[in-house]
Amino acid sequence: MIALDGITKRYRSGRLELTVLHGIRLDIAAGEFVAIMGASGSGKSTLLNLIGCLDRFDEGSYRLADQDVTGLDDDHLATLRGSRIGFIFQGFNLIPRISAWRNVALPMLYAGAPPAARRQRALDLLDRVGLADRAEHLPGELSGGQQQRVAIARALVNDPDVLVADEPTGSLDSATGREIMSLFGELHKAGRTIVMVTHEHEIAASASRIVQLRDGHVVDAGQPERRAETKAESRADDA
Amino acid sequence: MIGGTDRVTQALAALRDNRLRTALSVLGIAIGIAAVMIVSTISRGGNHLVFSELETFGLNSVWVYRDWENDSPLERRRDGSGIDRRDVAALDAVTAELGIRYLSPMVQDYSDPAARRGARFANIQLIGASRQYAAMVNDDLTAGRALMSHDIDERLPVAMLAPDVVAKLFDSDEDPVGRTVDIGGRRVTIIGLLAGKSRDFLSSIGSAGGENANDRVVVPWTWLQRVRGDREVDHLHLSVEVFDSAERVADDVVDFLSRRHGDHFNYTRETMASYIVTTGRILGGVAIVGTIAASVSLLVGGMGIMNMMGTAVLERTREIGLRRAVGARRGDILWQFLIEAGIISLVGGVLGLLVGAAVSLIVVWLTGFPLLPSPSVIAGALIVSVVVGLIAGLLPARRAARLEPVTALRAD
Repeated sequence: MIALDGITKRYRSGRLELTVLHGIRLDIAAGEFVAIMGASGSGKSTLLNLIGCLDRFDEGSYRLADQDVTGLDDDHLATLRGSRIGFIFQGFNLIPRISAWRNVALPMLYAGAPPAARRQRALDLLDRVGLADRAEHLPGELSGGQQQRVAIARALVNDPDVLVADEPTGSLDSATGREIMSLFGELHKAGRTIVMVTHEHEIAASASRIVQLRDGHVVDAGQPERRAETKAESRADDA
Repeated sequence: MIGGTDRVTQALAALRDNRLRTALSVLGIAIGIAAVMIVSTISRGGNHLVFSELETFGLNSVWVYRDWENDSPLERRRDGSGIDRRDVAALDAVTAELGIRYLSPMVQDYSDPAARRGARFANIQLIGASRQYAAMVNDDLTAGRALMSHDIDERLPVAMLAPDVVAKLFDSDEDPVGRTVDIGGRRVTIIGLLAGKSRDFLSSIGSAGGENANDRVVVPWTWLQRVRGDREVDHLHLSVEVFDSAERVADDVVDFLSRRHGDHFNYTRETMASYIVTTGRILGGVAIVGTIAASVSLLVGGMGIMNMMGTAVLERTREIGLRRAVGARRGDILWQFLIEAGIISLVGGVLGLLVGAAVSLIVVWLTGFPLLPSPSVIAGALIVSVVVGLIAGLLPARRAARLEPVTALRAD
């Protein structure tokens, strides 16, 4: 599903050049639930942004679901993110002035789906994350855990190949964090490919594989999971 | 690709979210548009007023008369006006070649004449003119007929009366046509009534030609010569076939007269065309100054939008990052903010038009100034307001669109 080869990422500020990722090589198969761990500054968030096609890299190549992403232009990357990546953030990043279902439907808006389909799909997904009765609520009227569920529904709305989660429990108390992780577990069981950054071992333990990063190098790529299920099967119970 | 309806819905939601800020920006544009509209309406009204009054003199008019400047009063008495009946007859024969449409020798009585009818009395302007005079100065008749060749040739004591004279000499239920009045001790038969003409504005600004047109009594110039006991024509009033030829025709007539009199007299001339050019220049200058002043307020309104959109982009940086993450292209972000700016300015423009129309109506009501609402001004104001909004929105919108998703998502 994800094939990173020799990925190098540098940041420049003035004459200073900082290399945050050194020739990363990482393969993630479809259906894996991978936790990327590492100390602050190890480059784990940068790596996650690259996997999510949010950022560009300086060297190496990246294949996402058999499509070469290397060197795609800005608009193509945006379309790619909309259709193949589902983002879940630490701070939820819901738009405060629109209702829960409209937040969920937002990626479909940019994918050009018709209004009726957007609403139906958003309501279905809210139902799946247990928020059917909160569809018309504004984000501010929901608890943190509920907001993150809305964000997860939004991440699923275009049926992406990969869910990319950046510290998804970082803003939640531990009980709520465990609830969100069990939701991740369900998604994993249903065949979703999930890449998550966390610095908490308890959270990382939910994943099927842990990748350790230090100073921009993969120091431990973990044990790739062997799964028989394909994503096509998982989509059946998705709808 | 995101549809137009969705874009507008999104923009409206964002604008509703900041009602006060939106309202203030709308107000800024509304004031600017209203100011531009009021200035343009008043300036158009003023133009209309001035030109409709100039029209009462005939827009194609040319006046030719002897240049008295360098002559002593003694010479004047000895030599006369320099224009006589034979000149008029000679000129009449060549009007077509010279491009003259109407020609009237003008004979006036400057002795403060009055018209009487029994005990009634009216101060008048006594004007001796030809049969073409009424058509030349755009006089309409409300009753009776205009002067005819017969009246001129036979030097008949007949007259056309302007409304103020009629009002002073007759009751409103009387029909003056066919009756006689006494002018300078002579009985004159009324053959026609002239419609009223306004020169109020020109009079009020002290223009030389702005005398009241409604106290005129127009009689055959030949008859007035007989009354005066001379053969003098005070000046020639003519109108040209083609407006643009006024200057040339005026010079030709001056040459014509000079030649006929062996350069014994100097002649000078005036053309309405030159007054119109001057008037147009003055009114245009006033309009430009007014428009610039009004445009400044529109500019301030535009800067209000720019400021508001700049703040909105800053506040919503994370939102922009999120939208980019879920598939929004740079163009989508650009349009999102442009449409918000466009809606503000369009609503402001419509509001400004309404305010401008209301103020214009009040001005009409208070001053009686003629108002000319024009579809082109309305369309122009709306287009200008939207263009101002889009230009003002462009800078902030571009800044939003250029944000890198990663950077935007990290914003506080």
